[in-house]
Amino acid sequence: MTSTMNNQANEPTDASIARRKLHPLVDLQCDRSWFEELQNRSSKNGPWDDWTLYQLSVEAEHAKRIDSFEQLLCMRTLPSFEPMPHQIDTARKVVHEMGGRAILADEVGLGKTIEAGLVIKEYMVRGLVKRALILVPASLVLQWVRELNSKFGISAVAQKKEHSWQYEVVVASIDTAKRDPHRDIILGQDYDMIIIDEAHKLKNKKTTNYQFALQLRKKYCLLLTATPIQNDLDELYNLITLLKPGQLGGQSEFAANFVVDKRLPKNEDQLQDALSTVMIRNRRGDGGISFTKRVVKNIPLELSAEEQALYDAVTAFVRDRYKEDGVDMMSMLPLVTLQREVCSSRDAVFITLVNLFKKTSEDSPIRAKIWELVEFIKQIKANTKAEKVMELIQQINDKVIIFTEYRASQEYLLQYFRAQNILAVPYRGGMNRGKKDWMMDLFRGRAQILIATEAGGEGINLQFCHHIINFDLPWNPMRVEQRIGRVHRLGQTEDVKIYNLCTLGTIEEHIVNLLHEKINLFELVIGELDHILERFETDAGSIEQQLAKMLLESGGDSAHLEQRLNQLGSTFSKLREEKESAEAPKGPTILAQMTELGQKVEVKP
Amino acid sequence: MNSKQVHKYVQRYLEATQCAILEKSPAHFKVKLSPVADRELTNRPFYWSFVDRTGSEPETMTYLFVTDQEKYEDNVNAPALAPAPATSAVDAALNRSFGFVNNNLANGVRTHREDLYFGSRKLEQLFGAAKNSGSYVNLFQEPERRSNTPFQSTPYTQWLGVNMRVEFACDRKREEIHSYGVSLATGLVVENFYDRLKNLKLTPRLPANVHVTRNGLSFAKALNLVETSLERKLKGYDYSWAEDATARLEEELARIRHYYDPMVQQAEEEVKSAIEEQFNQRQTEIRWQYEPRVTASAINCGIFHLEGIE
Repeated sequence: MTSTMNNQANEPTDASIARRKLHPLVDLQCDRSWFEELQNRSSKNGPWDDWTLYQLSVEAEHAKRIDSFEQLLCMRTLPSFEPMPHQIDTARKVVHEMGGRAILADEVGLGKTIEAGLVIKEYMVRGLVKRALILVPASLVLQWVRELNSKFGISAVAQKKEHSWQYEVVVASIDTAKRDPHRDIILGQDYDMIIIDEAHKLKNKKTTNYQFALQLRKKYCLLLTATPIQNDLDELYNLITLLKPGQLGGQSEFAANFVVDKRLPKNEDQLQDALSTVMIRNRRGDGGISFTKRVVKNIPLELSAEEQALYDAVTAFVRDRYKEDGVDMMSMLPLVTLQREVCSSRDAVFITLVNLFKKTSEDSPIRAKIWELVEFIKQIKANTKAEKVMELIQQINDKVIIFTEYRASQEYLLQYFRAQNILAVPYRGGMNRGKKDWMMDLFRGRAQILIATEAGGEGINLQFCHHIINFDLPWNPMRVEQRIGRVHRLGQTEDVKIYNLCTLGTIEEHIVNLLHEKINLFELVIGELDHILERFETDAGSIEQQLAKMLLESGGDSAHLEQRLNQLGSTFSKLREEKESAEAPKGPTILAQMTELGQKVEVKP
Repeated sequence: MNSKQVHKYVQRYLEATQCAILEKSPAHFKVKLSPVADRELTNRPFYWSFVDRTGSEPETMTYLFVTDQEKYEDNVNAPALAPAPATSAVDAALNRSFGFVNNNLANGVRTHREDLYFGSRKLEQLFGAAKNSGSYVNLFQEPERRSNTPFQSTPYTQWLGVNMRVEFACDRKREEIHSYGVSLATGLVVENFYDRLKNLKLTPRLPANVHVTRNGLSFAKALNLVETSLERKLKGYDYSWAEDATARLEEELARIRHYYDPMVQQAEEEVKSAIEEQFNQRQTEIRWQYEPRVTASAINCGIFHLEGIE
């Protein structure tokens, strides 16, 4: 670990540097600290080092020597890693033509992270970068740390505590970094290199994130984004100002020279020229099939009589509570969860009921009601869904990932499979990194089944598996997409089969219906969803809250609920159409015309 | 460095640091580290400070260093097939008597595997270890032949030798390595001095029947001779790269001036200083990024006593 710590002691002090003029523009700076130490040892007659190690030391330096200004030398230190040609070209261009300050704006899925990794590695191999700061969304911190360590052999450290900043290469979330006490520490540093991922979040120069980024002291800098222009050209201007202020002229010149309307550029050729020295955008080829297909199958299920009885009892309980307590959403959300949990497993309901019981006061009449529900739970002997899953797994006869929202359902399934003599391993957010890796290895190896409670963007890449069973569905479409995204990504060679278990006559049926039929979630283009959701959620709270509210307000009237959900579905598709039509003259098209900013890449899965 | 060179390199390091090589093939070493090597390579500062404070007997670690991954895996997999039945029969017998036997227990301590290839972190650490204990030497040439009469003494010259890394840097960088030797007797400066040393037998002890000639110049004088020779050599180089870098630097400075000057002029009083500060910061960054510079620093150095008077 000590090797990754910043060690200022090795830097020569000014006192031990002698300057000599070599050329009108260049001084020779001779570091004399070696000489002082040699004299020191000579006067004390030692200690002296070993001749073989002396030779080995020279030989190592010869091997590491940087022969030329050109070439991408980092490749010789990465023998087991083969980047794609456009990634190598991009890295070379950033280092040799752009002076190490660039916007990497490849379309989604072409490997901007790899390009950035190659650039930073190249500078590190050349000794031009020691201290680097990588600012990314919180959910991507660990993924970056892992990629830099495993693919590039860079000892990057995730920022956890205040003292993490003293490491040479730190990955942190920008939201943490900009806050005290971190802010002052970071702004007091000179960073050889700064990388900002998802840089389109900095598009607005009034935000604190932007102002913070503007104050960072840096030599080289990379901004990564697939959408350098989302709405208007000013966004691009603001990003470039972080890298090279004035590259597109002053704000007023930029407006006069390049902008007709906020969304319409003029003098496109000049704009493209000006951009070509700061931005690289590789595009997906038209011909290449970039992703394999998604095959979605809903599996309708009838609850058993006992399960149905529990569901009805819980529904009645929730409705009563809602009538009594009124519209306090905060206290109602856990109750809605109850209803969803019945659709998953009795274990999940039970845990929630126990917690609820503990929270209610001892003399509350609710306690008795909770006991009644527990009686219903006791009647249930089998889990319809689990049995169906068993059937599915035997048909599939291959690796399968089962996602569930509930920890209790996960535990239940683990036990269930153990009883059936099928090897299943768990995966959840609370596990530490080592355990997660271990579970991944088991799943890659002997285990047929992985049961996961979270899909999170933690960089679990599971391309070797192409069957997903959604034991139950999250209400947030983004989380569904994340689940699928673990498997359906670059490197997946098979069509991905997605099975949604759906209990008829329950809230779940409505949700599956909404996500699948109305939102058309499973066929959305990757990256499209978050933009739609962003706009959708601004008005009336998160999509989960909106759904819960509808459910409660419908008061058990299924037709009424159906109608509200239909409305929600059409709002969604309207937003989507709006986005598509509004986007036509916007960012992506502006960039689409600028074909000189990168190359076209045929991505073969 | 290809895998053969890495292999040779690792072997020389292990031998030089008195590590006990337990097993080796052209593709790997299994080695119990010596205390010196363990301190350098195992990242256990707390353990070693514990040993130092308590004076207890250190237990060093055992490593499997694989220098040629492909060949090693082939070797491991291939011969394992043949003797497998025999061992499994033994295992089976042991299992009957003792229940489950973990095979690894028989092999003693757990070995850490490290793949060493150019660019791998462990090899990088090994390079660092070589540098840490291969920086300053004081050596004597072993005489070619023993002198016939024990009363005849061979004259030796004391040399200051230094290997320099010269870095030519702007926003890009390249390096050269130069090796100089200065005779402290006569002030003669020799280039490629290290190549000359490589072919000699050197020892840390003064050989018998040898006397070192009196120095004619001081260390400081010798240092000056080295730097002057280097300067003279470098002056003859092509500096178009520095001119290009300076042109880029000027262009960048002009660009941000064009951006900030009107901003500073139009700014309200209260924000003016903030904008100026930002402007200054951007200028400093650009100088830091593009300003051409040449630096020379020592890789290592030493005092060498060589036969003859030069």
